[in-house]
Amino acid sequence: MNWTQLNSAFTLFLSLLVEAVPFLLLGVLFSGVLQFFVDERKLVRLMPRNAFLGALFGSCIGFLFPVCECGNVPVARRLLMQGVPSSVAIGFLLAAPTINPIVFWATWTAFRDQPEIVFLRIGCSLVIAVLLGWVFSSQKDLRPMLQPTVARAMPAKTGVRGKGLGTQSTENDVSLLQSGTYFLGQAEQPIDVSEFQAAAIAATTAGKPFSYKLSLMLESMIQEMRELGGVLILGSAIAALIQAFVPREAVLALGQGPVTSILAMMLLAAIVSICSTVDAFFALSFSSLFTTGSLLAFLVYGPMIDLKGIGLMMSIFKPRAVFYLFALAGQLTFLFALLVNLYGS
Amino acid sequence: MARSSRFIGAWMDVLAIAAWGVLFLNYWLTGKLYLLIHPNYMWLTVAAAIGLLALAVWRGIFLLQRSKSRNVGNDTSHMTLLPTGWSSTLLLATAILGLIITPRAFASQTAIQRGVIDAPTLTRVKPQAFRASSNTEDKSIIDWVRTLTVYPEPDAYTGQAAKVQGFVIYPPDLPNQYLLISRFVLTCCAADAYPISLPVKLTGTHEQYKPDTWLEIQGQMMTETLGGKRQLVIRAAAIQPIEEPKNPYDY
Repeated sequence: MNWTQLNSAFTLFLSLLVEAVPFLLLGVLFSGVLQFFVDERKLVRLMPRNAFLGALFGSCIGFLFPVCECGNVPVARRLLMQGVPSSVAIGFLLAAPTINPIVFWATWTAFRDQPEIVFLRIGCSLVIAVLLGWVFSSQKDLRPMLQPTVARAMPAKTGVRGKGLGTQSTENDVSLLQSGTYFLGQAEQPIDVSEFQAAAIAATTAGKPFSYKLSLMLESMIQEMRELGGVLILGSAIAALIQAFVPREAVLALGQGPVTSILAMMLLAAIVSICSTVDAFFALSFSSLFTTGSLLAFLVYGPMIDLKGIGLMMSIFKPRAVFYLFALAGQLTFLFALLVNLYGS
Repeated sequence: MARSSRFIGAWMDVLAIAAWGVLFLNYWLTGKLYLLIHPNYMWLTVAAAIGLLALAVWRGIFLLQRSKSRNVGNDTSHMTLLPTGWSSTLLLATAILGLIITPRAFASQTAIQRGVIDAPTLTRVKPQAFRASSNTEDKSIIDWVRTLTVYPEPDAYTGQAAKVQGFVIYPPDLPNQYLLISRFVLTCCAADAYPISLPVKLTGTHEQYKPDTWLEIQGQMMTETLGGKRQLVIRAAAIQPIEEPKNPYDY
């Protein structure tokens, strides 16, 4: 480690943030709009009951909210807290960064010569998002997999809000989660603010005056920007450090074969952490070196999971659930990419 | 007590968000944004800067009005892994670091680490036309490398005049009569920058040119066998040290 490397790590870190923060802000803005100008009861009534259709529906919401993988988290979290079925929210979380007009246009621009990549990218992302949304919907109550604050804010289906999961996890997490109050020098018991959270969410549909709604929207936007911004900084720092200290050749040298090239590009996608709106241009620079399947794997896997975004995902899910998403999405991506490599033209 | 800490917390948020707005604007106005992101996407950063500042100002006005009416904000609750104080402190601290530490363009060490590619398929949103009659001295390193990608036979270019600007890289196994004149190419942001280069044959040895020095090289194209590969090489006639350009990347 030396000074130059550290400085290039810092430059990398800043460049990731300069690119990601605008999209995070956009996601926070959408989330705010969704929270205060959309009546969630109407929204939920619109959603298909069937888990499969729900996942499909969720996967296509990206066309209305064109966000990348930094902006989808606040929106998906808002959807969950508004009581939208989990299949819809997870479908949205995984598909929105790819299935949206901006990404479609960017991929088309980059791969005009290979239109199959554009359609395979959209198709595979859609299939994986729908399948995962469907799989997760088999968990009747998603709350044990969610971070306690999100879980508590979700409208309770059985009417025993906060019981069960709530009490048990509060014991473990509260001191960690709420040490903000210690930080500011208060040694007393941290205040349980989640009650307020639930109340704030519950209050949204009531016919409150516009100015009140607006102030609550401001409140939640600030809060999301602060929380997710902090997490994004940590994720970008890790991604930048790995990029600066692990030679890129070490990843690319993993292989050029039909199997190894896919693994190499998936690893690269997770490390490089660039936004889905622009990753097609990056992938294009590898198109002469790598197999079609591996480029596809890069384009499908990168938007779903990357180092920068893991922290953001952890703001919704517990680590175990993030790991499941990680592993399932990875396996499916690998499978599709391998099929393309072996049977594609 | 809880009220005063909430008061400080609320203003920390305003400060942290405003600091990011200021940081982005600062990078834009001082031209440092060129080191971080492709010019095509700069408007995104500038728009975000304005958005962040607007959000901070809105929140600030709101807090001032609130404090007049004795009620300091709603209780802000925790949503993520990081405790409240940490998150805004981290945001603020990073923004301040960003203002203090100047981002630097990548140099030869990063280039060697990323692997100098000699014949990549180079990204271009708008493909450029090749004009056979164009003055070869107008070609930049990236133009040469692009031309080579289309027609790789080095002999085809023998005798053509070259005038390129870039920085010096020495890969470990380069003979000491040569240097690589290089540029980083950006497709989106610095995270995806990759180096391209052309070998230059010197009349003397390369000791007098330190790695990362920016040079303008004038000379003629010739074919040499380097590292067991026939390659297009610039035979240097004149070498001029230059300032690092404001925008060191190529696109």
